[in-house]
Amino acid sequence: MITHQDSMHILLADDDEDDRTFFSEAIQELKMNNKLTLFKDGNDLMDYLVLPETKLPHVLFLDLNMPGKTGIDCLKEIRANARFKDVSIAIYSTSSSEKDIEDTFIEGANIYIKKPNDFSKLKKVIKEVVNMNWQFHTSGLNIETFFFSI
Amino acid sequence: MKILGLYKNTQVFKVALAIAIVVVCYIASMFYSQMKKLDATVDLISNSNKTQLELEQLLSVISNYEMSLRSYIITKEERYIEDRFLNRGKIEESLARLEVLTNNDVTRYDDVERLRKLIDLRFKLFRKTLLLAQSKKSTPLAINQMLVESGQVTDMMKSFVTKIIFSESTKTEFENNNHQFELQDSIITAFLLVILSLLILLLSFQKMNIDIVELKKTNDQLKLLNESYKTAEMTAGFGHWMVNVETNKYTFSDNLFRLMGEEPNAFEPNLENSIKYIHPDDMAYVTKVHQDSLVNQQATSMIFRFLTAQGETKYIMGAGSFTRNGSDELIKIGVNYDITNQYQKTLELEENYKELKFINTELEAFNNIVSHDLQEPLRKIQMFISRLEDKEMSLLSQQGKDYFSKIRLTANRMQTLLIDLVNYSRTIKGDKVFVDTDLNKVVEEILQDLSISIEDKKATVAIGNLPTVKAIPFQVKQLFINLLSNSLKYSQEDKLPKISITAEEITDSDLTDYKISTKNDYYKIVISDNGIGFKQEYAEKVFLLFKRLETDPKYAGTGLGLAICSRIVENHKGFIKVEAKPNIGAKFYIFLPKVDLI
Repeated sequence: MITHQDSMHILLADDDEDDRTFFSEAIQELKMNNKLTLFKDGNDLMDYLVLPETKLPHVLFLDLNMPGKTGIDCLKEIRANARFKDVSIAIYSTSSSEKDIEDTFIEGANIYIKKPNDFSKLKKVIKEVVNMNWQFHTSGLNIETFFFSI
Repeated sequence: MKILGLYKNTQVFKVALAIAIVVVCYIASMFYSQMKKLDATVDLISNSNKTQLELEQLLSVISNYEMSLRSYIITKEERYIEDRFLNRGKIEESLARLEVLTNNDVTRYDDVERLRKLIDLRFKLFRKTLLLAQSKKSTPLAINQMLVESGQVTDMMKSFVTKIIFSESTKTEFENNNHQFELQDSIITAFLLVILSLLILLLSFQKMNIDIVELKKTNDQLKLLNESYKTAEMTAGFGHWMVNVETNKYTFSDNLFRLMGEEPNAFEPNLENSIKYIHPDDMAYVTKVHQDSLVNQQATSMIFRFLTAQGETKYIMGAGSFTRNGSDELIKIGVNYDITNQYQKTLELEENYKELKFINTELEAFNNIVSHDLQEPLRKIQMFISRLEDKEMSLLSQQGKDYFSKIRLTANRMQTLLIDLVNYSRTIKGDKVFVDTDLNKVVEEILQDLSISIEDKKATVAIGNLPTVKAIPFQVKQLFINLLSNSLKYSQEDKLPKISITAEEITDSDLTDYKISTKNDYYKIVISDNGIGFKQEYAEKVFLLFKRLETDPKYAGTGLGLAICSRIVENHKGFIKVEAKPNIGAKFYIFLPKVDLI
């Protein structure tokens, strides 16, 4: 568990080490005032979240395809718990299959991000999503706006 | 027509015939009684005639005697008298006959008796006269006086007989008149009888003729029907049976025997004999269903197997229902239909379906590999490339930079290929839901998606008013994305790309070229550009899978884009055509049917 101390709290659960590295490098390069916590799988993430002393994050970036608890399992658990109702969840996956998009939309994710294949795009995505006006985004949410296009 | 109808109605005819026969019987009995009466009258007349004749004979005999007596008196010749006067033989016979003839008539009988007395008197006088004439002492005066007396009696007798004869003849005349009338009546009756009988005979004959013709016609029709039914059963492979629930008597059609692998009528049709042909595994079930249905009279339907004597297993669809025959007896009719072929086909289909499903699952797994598992490492390669580009490019030699840029291009190409492959496989997948899709909106969305590349190329895109079509939305979007991307990609370097998407009327030449029956059958959407185009001879080839035209390497494509387009248009039961000229541009025509596709 690597933790960056800062005011805005961001979580990322992704089993791919490279992706975690890209993500934290992008955050570093963006020089944003935020705290990033990384988890290597769904179990780790959920173990951390359910701790009573855990401060709720602003945004959770959630990979779907993970060993143990998958992204969708975590999504369901989080959305089943009223305590996390204000946590914004951004699905962060290689897949852009309709099924995954629809399933996560139904289960209550806030946005769906297809992992970019370019580092500058990744930075752009993170910047936009972290600074997103969630209230505004959620009020006009539909399956089209749900899928984040760069 | 109505009369003919009545005539054809057997019931009405029967009643009419009965009435006619009663009338004939009545007339016949009348005729008989008339004949009987006529007979009596004839008897009466002949009786009367005979009586008259006898009386006249009697009179003439008496006259003869008188003549003979007179002749004897004059001539004294013995031969005139002989023993006649002593013997009244002929006269007695005559009187006896008269008595018989008048036996039925009391007055006449009395008359005859009186006549007999007169004759007795006359004969007494004959003998007296004769004795006087023979006596030697006789005087002519006494004889004359005797003769006068005798003559008076004779006259009296004659007048009496004449009176009787007159009365008889009057009676005869009256009877004769009666007889004439009766005869006339009888003739009329007889005539009526003959006419009526003839009429009945004719009508019956005619009716019989009509009935026979009708019967023959019906019979012929029935025969034909039966024959065609038998042929139908053979051709269609079904047979039927019937059981009279009351008498428990079974009948089987010829083809039912054949279904059991036997010749028609090979055995007595009943449950025991036919149950042997049912597959042992199905025997109990079939028997139970059948027996139950006979009790509760519910229609049955089941599938079972026949095991023929030849060892062949046939799948049979059996349906039974109840009806009543002409005698109001309950009948169960069953139809057995040989569904072996269908059954086997279904099995085959099921097998194929399973296989297809399996292949489909495999395909989906493959699809997943392509879309996710293959893209994952590729995406990471691209990510590392972009990291290197950002941080380490300055450390590379010029050649290293060239190599590196080629790596990036190749990785990008591979990504495009993977995306195209996924798109293509998505056009093959079965789940096709057609909904009303406004092409204007679709194109609008695409323009947004492609806005960066449109801006880069400084392209102008003109959009006409497009129709709303029944379509699979993501596919039709893919179609326009591919075509627009192509137009952008294959633009000429020295010209700003001009692209237009419009809906056009179907022209007369379209009708002949593409064998469209009416102009209302299809929407025609045209996408034209001023790009590099290609030779018209490639117009068919461009839509083939992995077919790429030999162009400048910088235009390298995957060979999938237009194949996907063609596939999508086919999915919508339409077709796509292209007209192109090198360095002038390409015009794609999409024809989408207007009618519902489902």
